[in-house]
Amino acid sequence: VLIWGVNFPENRLIKKSLETFYGIGNQHSTRILAQHSIFHRARVGSLPTKTITALTAELSSMTIETDLRRKLVENISRLKEMGTYRGRRHAMGYPVRGQNTRSQIMSARKLNRVERRG
Amino acid sequence: MSTSTTCWKCLSRPSLLSSQLSSRIAQVTVSAPFSSTATSLAPPLIRGNNGPQKGVKGTTAIKKKNRPQQTGKPPMPGERKALRKRVVLSNTNAIEVQDLVDLNQETVDGLLKENASGEYTSPVAGKVVGLPGTTVDSLRAIESFKTSQGWGLFRRPSLLVRKEAIDLTKSLVSAAKDQITQRLIIDGARGTGKSLMLLHAQAAAFAQGWVVINIPEARELVSATSDYAPIPDTMPQLWTQPTFTSSWLEKIQKANKTQLDTLKMTKKHNLPIEVPSEISLSRFLEIGVSDTDVAWPIFQAFWDEMNAKDRPPMLLTMDSTSYVMGMTEYRDKAINFIHSHDFVITKLFMDLFSGAIKMNNGGAVIAATSRSNSPTSISMDLAIMQALQRQAGEKLTRRNPFERKYDERVDSALRDITVMELSGVSKAEARSLMEYWAASGVLRQRVDEQIVAEKWALAGNGVIGEIKRNALNMRI
Repeated sequence: VLIWGVNFPENRLIKKSLETFYGIGNQHSTRILAQHSIFHRARVGSLPTKTITALTAELSSMTIETDLRRKLVENISRLKEMGTYRGRRHAMGYPVRGQNTRSQIMSARKLNRVERRG
Repeated sequence: MSTSTTCWKCLSRPSLLSSQLSSRIAQVTVSAPFSSTATSLAPPLIRGNNGPQKGVKGTTAIKKKNRPQQTGKPPMPGERKALRKRVVLSNTNAIEVQDLVDLNQETVDGLLKENASGEYTSPVAGKVVGLPGTTVDSLRAIESFKTSQGWGLFRRPSLLVRKEAIDLTKSLVSAAKDQITQRLIIDGARGTGKSLMLLHAQAAAFAQGWVVINIPEARELVSATSDYAPIPDTMPQLWTQPTFTSSWLEKIQKANKTQLDTLKMTKKHNLPIEVPSEISLSRFLEIGVSDTDVAWPIFQAFWDEMNAKDRPPMLLTMDSTSYVMGMTEYRDKAINFIHSHDFVITKLFMDLFSGAIKMNNGGAVIAATSRSNSPTSISMDLAIMQALQRQAGEKLTRRNPFERKYDERVDSALRDITVMELSGVSKAEARSLMEYWAASGVLRQRVDEQIVAEKWALAGNGVIGEIKRNALNMRI
């Protein structure tokens, strides 16, 4: 079954399938299922076509995947262009939130960059 | 070493003298102090299997185990569930008990005979009765038999007719005669026979030609394992469960086929689909089975039909009731949990309990609680306690004014109910049950006063589930 252009096997749980999109986790998937009156143990194959269409429309209206990643990168580059402390820290790949740099900063080195991957 | 020639353990004399024995032993031990014969004659060592080679670093890394490959054919979808839920009702290895009376219309009429002092004088009072074949088929169709009740030990399903069971039958018969709706909750500790009391009510109803509607497990209405849909234009918002209703209609139709085949549609109903007029109610329910969207409107029409003139009385039963005394796991459009009384099937039962809906041809609605693995509903517990106190003429327990977890909707639904509290069976009833077990060849002991008293006392003064567990499950 195609939801928002992505194919899902029919016997997979719809909640789990929605959570495979970047930007949808437990909270958003619960909200989407509640608004369309789908019980949380529903399988993708059990949904009628009009519900699938409604879900696709719902996903199109949300910021997920590339839109969300772009938003994240825009926020960081805005900070940098303003010349803020946080922007400089992202650019250098250092911790942003006031952590110590005397010890392990592996997460900051991996994640904090201007072209953050999300 | 002893110098005697007798072996001290087995008292046998050795063939050789001890002196000769010791010299022979001495001769054997005299040999070269160092010998390489054994090692030179042994097969050569294989070089490669001696562990890590010199100059090569051995690894102490944890080896990744591959996932175990699934060999053999996996079972078909639904097969494991079917095996788990399958109820075996007959065992040909058990002995057939010859003089077992069937629970049919005649027996039910006979059950109600009382003498002057109010004791039941029926020959089967306090004895075991068998269930006739058609009743067993109907009970199986509405899923009354549970896998944990041990039906598969005996030749045919049978029930003990307890005093409380006769009281229940009496109230059912009077409900049909006076055309009132009997509202009953069956409570009691774990193992006291609440589900079997429901089964007795259903069997008695089938014997009298009533229509029986059952919810074997109220948890299914609440645990959000089947689909749900809002009913448009209802204020406050009501919800249906289409798939559940559809399979429920199928069970009702199968169980009550003989009665429903003879009843015809008499009224006109406003249904979303075309229904031919003058069809039997049995055929009418089948339409709801095949189409889940119209299942609830069809049930509503069926209910109207059954409340028309000259229809048989209805019995509605529900087990594990405390599940429907609170919130469900379904959510509404505003992402709040939905209360169980907003779902139409539960609402039907609760309206019957509160008296908002009546059955025009008489009948009963009976709910049994479950005291093992069930959520607590303090509103329901308080309502039961107050009902028992009211029945006994005692002062009513007041609500705890500091408690926040009372549920107003449950309070208003259960304001005015009758409660049957089950406790242990009497020794005479326990004896007749154990005699039946012994006659079936399942209980391999002689049934006398001593053993009955022993089992009765061990079971907490006659809790029937414990008697069964002690006598039948633990077999040395």
